[in-house]
Amino acid sequence: MEWSRGPVKANIRQFVMENLALGKVGGIIEDDASLIDNGVIDSLGIFQLVSFLEQSYGIRVRDEEIVLDNFKSINAIEEFLLAKLPRKGD
Amino acid sequence: MGQLLHHVFEASLEHHASRTAVWGRGRGLLYRELEERSNQLAHLLQTNGVEPGDRVGLYFPKAPESLIAMLGILKAGAAYVPIDPQAPLKRAAYIIQNCGMKGLITTSDRTGVLHAVPGNTLFCVVLDRSDGQSDSFVPWDALNAFSSERPEIFTNDTDLAYILYTSGSTGEPKGVMLTHRNARSFVDWCATTFKIRADDRLSNHAPLHFDLSVFDVYNTLGAGATLCMVDEGTALFPATLSAFMETQGITVWYSVPSALTALLLHGVLETRNLSSLRLVLFAGEVFPIKYLRRLAEVLPQVDLYNLYGPTETNVCTYYPVDRAALGRMDNLPIGRGCETMDVFAVTEDGRNASVGETGELWVRGPTVTPGYWGDPERTRRSVLVDNAHPERTYRTGDIVTPGADGNFAFHGRRDNQIKSRGFRIELGEIEATLVDHPHVREAVVLPIPDDEIGNRLVAVVVTDKPDLTAAQLQQHCALRLPKYMIPGTIGFQERLPKTSTGKVDRTQLMASRGEVTDGVV
Repeated sequence: MEWSRGPVKANIRQFVMENLALGKVGGIIEDDASLIDNGVIDSLGIFQLVSFLEQSYGIRVRDEEIVLDNFKSINAIEEFLLAKLPRKGD
Repeated sequence: MGQLLHHVFEASLEHHASRTAVWGRGRGLLYRELEERSNQLAHLLQTNGVEPGDRVGLYFPKAPESLIAMLGILKAGAAYVPIDPQAPLKRAAYIIQNCGMKGLITTSDRTGVLHAVPGNTLFCVVLDRSDGQSDSFVPWDALNAFSSERPEIFTNDTDLAYILYTSGSTGEPKGVMLTHRNARSFVDWCATTFKIRADDRLSNHAPLHFDLSVFDVYNTLGAGATLCMVDEGTALFPATLSAFMETQGITVWYSVPSALTALLLHGVLETRNLSSLRLVLFAGEVFPIKYLRRLAEVLPQVDLYNLYGPTETNVCTYYPVDRAALGRMDNLPIGRGCETMDVFAVTEDGRNASVGETGELWVRGPTVTPGYWGDPERTRRSVLVDNAHPERTYRTGDIVTPGADGNFAFHGRRDNQIKSRGFRIELGEIEATLVDHPHVREAVVLPIPDDEIGNRLVAVVVTDKPDLTAAQLQQHCALRLPKYMIPGTIGFQERLPKTSTGKVDRTQLMASRGEVTDGVV
């Protein structure tokens, strides 16, 4: 199965909004906005997010990949995820 | 005047003026700079009407400026009140109003909180503004115009140094008042016990509104050592956190056990060189023994201590982990009383519990709080003043058993206070918040034990609106409570089981908790 940007980002956004962003933002999270500085992701949320990615996309996220650069924004999560998924031409 | 909290810092200045006092967010401050900037802030606060005895809040993500703020406020003779920088607006506004804050040090994106404080007359020092001074907003750079000489202020050691707000069972947080003497007694005990040195590098993992940070900040400053602040982006990611420990050369670490568990399980510790580490302290919740055993194996050179004590007393018992005994232990003791404290268990019929008997832990000594801000009724219930003793006594509400070796074993609470990720939570506060929703008739919150974080929260709700969803209720909570207090699962029932006395039957609900999933019980 191959993946493309649009649905992946929408999926991540939906998970973040419904599960992590409670009361934190007024209904919108910009693609590049920090999920850390405004408290959207907390210490429990980060592992919820990792489980969601693993289960939804059948990938394995290693502990050394659970770092700020990969999870700081919706864009960053999308980049990280796409790099782990089989793409067209792979 | 007595020994004030900030005197520990001032005493270090003489020998360590050119050493780094604090590192955080990629910036450092020397002892000399911290002295000058905090003096300037004290003058600025005075100029803006802050008088000895006033309260000034800290409401921004922790940074080296946090130390300038804490010391500057103390030097102005006022008490500082750290507010969780991620606290919902309503909660922050409640704290500001409850303690009658005179000033607030904050960031521009947080000044909106003032609109939620009715009739406020606060002035704000705004960290990320360099200009645009108005009547109530002072940019941080305004400090530059003030003298860097130490202000002359008369403060007594029985005056308040800080107020820490913690979860309250009746639906609002409560402010635990700590005096200079309370804090100094604790810091001085630590200095004797843990022998912090100028070449130590202490972590500051705990948020500043959490009393673990009092150890980090003042033991560092008292020793002429360096405080290495863990910012939010580092604290969240165990592998980043362990890399931080290595690169910062942390020698003394203090945190809640769940942070250490996360490091063990996800921190790739086997790839890190943590040979600088000599002392690891933990407090705030029970450390599952299986993880402590693993930690002891991973850190063979480190002295491990289990510290115990509510915010009202700071640390009052401690247990140096006996590595040889870890293998045969089922539970980790909270240890024996600190040398400066009188710690004992009182049975239900009011006797001192003897070895093996169960009782409530009472703590008497110089670190015991004078009480809760603006709440003499609550203070009377838990802080006892006895003419036969010069010191106050705090009834912790914790159930313990004194052991033959002098160490206390901890068994739990006599009320509905629980810990989750080290945070102290009154289930009653969450229940009151849920019931505050116009369509919630009854609500009960259950703590579901969890090895990694202590407890998870499950709420069971009775509603008069059949289409009310768990997500809507979580959103309702999120506007009023810190994130760690929002139930992760909310189920609905037509009615709650009751005991014969008409109280909600928590035991029965706990027994059926396995069936709770979102929206259905």
